[in-house]
Amino acid sequence: MSEIIRFDSVHFTYPGDELESLCGVSLSIEEGSFVAVVGHNGSGKSTLAKHMNAILVPDEGRVTVCGIDTSDQDRIIEIRRNVGMVFQNPDNQIVANVVEDDVAFAPENLGVEPAEIRRRVDDSLKQVGMYDYRQHAPHLLSGGQKQRIAIAGVIAMHPKVIVLDEPTAMLDPVGRKEVLSTVTDLCREHGMTVVLITHHMDECIHADRMIIMTDGYITADGTPAQLFADPALMESQGLDVPETVRLMYALNKEGWNLPLDALGVDECAEEIRKAVEN
Amino acid sequence: MLKDITLGQYFPGDTIVHRLDPRTKLICVIIYIVALFLAVNWTGYIIVIAATAAFMILSRISPKRVFSGLKPMIFIIVLTGALNVFYTKGTPVVEGWIITWEGIERAIQMILRITLLISGTFLLTYTTSPIAITDGLEMLLKPLKLIRFPVHEMTLMMSMALRFIPTLIEETDKIMSAQRARGADFETGGLVKRAKALLPILVPLFVSAFRRADELAVAMESRCYHGGEGRTRMKQLRFETRDYVTLILFVLFLAVMIMLKRMS
Repeated sequence: MSEIIRFDSVHFTYPGDELESLCGVSLSIEEGSFVAVVGHNGSGKSTLAKHMNAILVPDEGRVTVCGIDTSDQDRIIEIRRNVGMVFQNPDNQIVANVVEDDVAFAPENLGVEPAEIRRRVDDSLKQVGMYDYRQHAPHLLSGGQKQRIAIAGVIAMHPKVIVLDEPTAMLDPVGRKEVLSTVTDLCREHGMTVVLITHHMDECIHADRMIIMTDGYITADGTPAQLFADPALMESQGLDVPETVRLMYALNKEGWNLPLDALGVDECAEEIRKAVEN
Repeated sequence: MLKDITLGQYFPGDTIVHRLDPRTKLICVIIYIVALFLAVNWTGYIIVIAATAAFMILSRISPKRVFSGLKPMIFIIVLTGALNVFYTKGTPVVEGWIITWEGIERAIQMILRITLLISGTFLLTYTTSPIAITDGLEMLLKPLKLIRFPVHEMTLMMSMALRFIPTLIEETDKIMSAQRARGADFETGGLVKRAKALLPILVPLFVSAFRRADELAVAMESRCYHGGEGRTRMKQLRFETRDYVTLILFVLFLAVMIMLKRMS
């Protein structure tokens, strides 16, 4: 697989801040992968995300997206059509009074032909399972539905990468589930590269790769199974582990010998069943 | 409680009036207003009333709904009527009274004029979605681009404002509840006291509106917004036969009204 996003020792400080938000981050993200970025508030994970579509440009170092340097102001539209971004608050990213008009916003900006926009809007809404709501007013929908509309609005650009900056932070558990399954589907079924910024560890389970950020540094990088299986690491980062892993830890402490890399609920149950039968 | 407020209310439907191009409807409303002000005698008023009634029937908007929209204006309507009754000179109804026959006639005509003016414009907003209205405006005002008037920006602002009305109302409700929970009192006291009580609502509301605007701007940029240049629209406006027919009818209507005015 080829590389789609590349960070070369990126430094960034917000104007007026004393501390650096990114302290020399280097990173390479492969096309088609599902990457989860976790960390506490102020760890720099949102700043990292905003570098991926040139909302922020590094003070030092370089970010390359699809082979384009993000500091190239002339190609900024090209970068943004390739890297779609979904934000935390669904209310603040929906621009139109009707669902389908909102989804059409990005392709309209790109100057796509009207008939093609129609097709893209319908396809995108079907992909996120909101096609039946195309004529609704967004403010009457639930948080999870609004966030799926926001995702549809981004995939209507046909981007290669979709970056989600804590998309579930303001949602209830049902909404979180809806959004997560939509996102997982985008990666698995449609081959889109997904970068998910989150602080819910449970949401990282389905990712191919998990990156932990602390104070502007990448402090750990590996598969979720690898990272969660290392209790010392997780504790030193002050991060929680998914409930399945916590259960395994607890059982192991009681003398069981269970693997820590069975993250999904079903896999976890299967491992426990095996252990009990032996 | 704040949710009851309606602004530019739209009642979806699929009648011929709903399907007319918003540009046609905007032009027709302008013609209608001009025609209404040209009406000077009863013949003129009857024609305008007939036109309004025809549109009401075609759009299947019940008169009840239109009249309920008039409620907030009742004070102005009554006041105008009263002023005309008392201040028109002519033959008194009863010898020695200030009320004259001419005054009564004027008053009825003025009340009709205001009522028709409001119901006519209501018929536009009742049958046309806010988005369609802003789209129509954008297209109609396009020539102003020549004198560098920011047409696209203005209509985008309008539709965005409409989009955020419910969001901000919801937010106001939340802030009011939060203040009430901490003992704020919005219901009692004189006008000044109540106006002062609104201040603690306005400040957080403005702060959050600015934060929203900032986030929205970033989200729009992320979706490749770069002004009106090179932008296409998914929903293309197209004049159909019904639009041409309506426009011709309205021009005729205007011509008749002008003739009536000339003759009187």
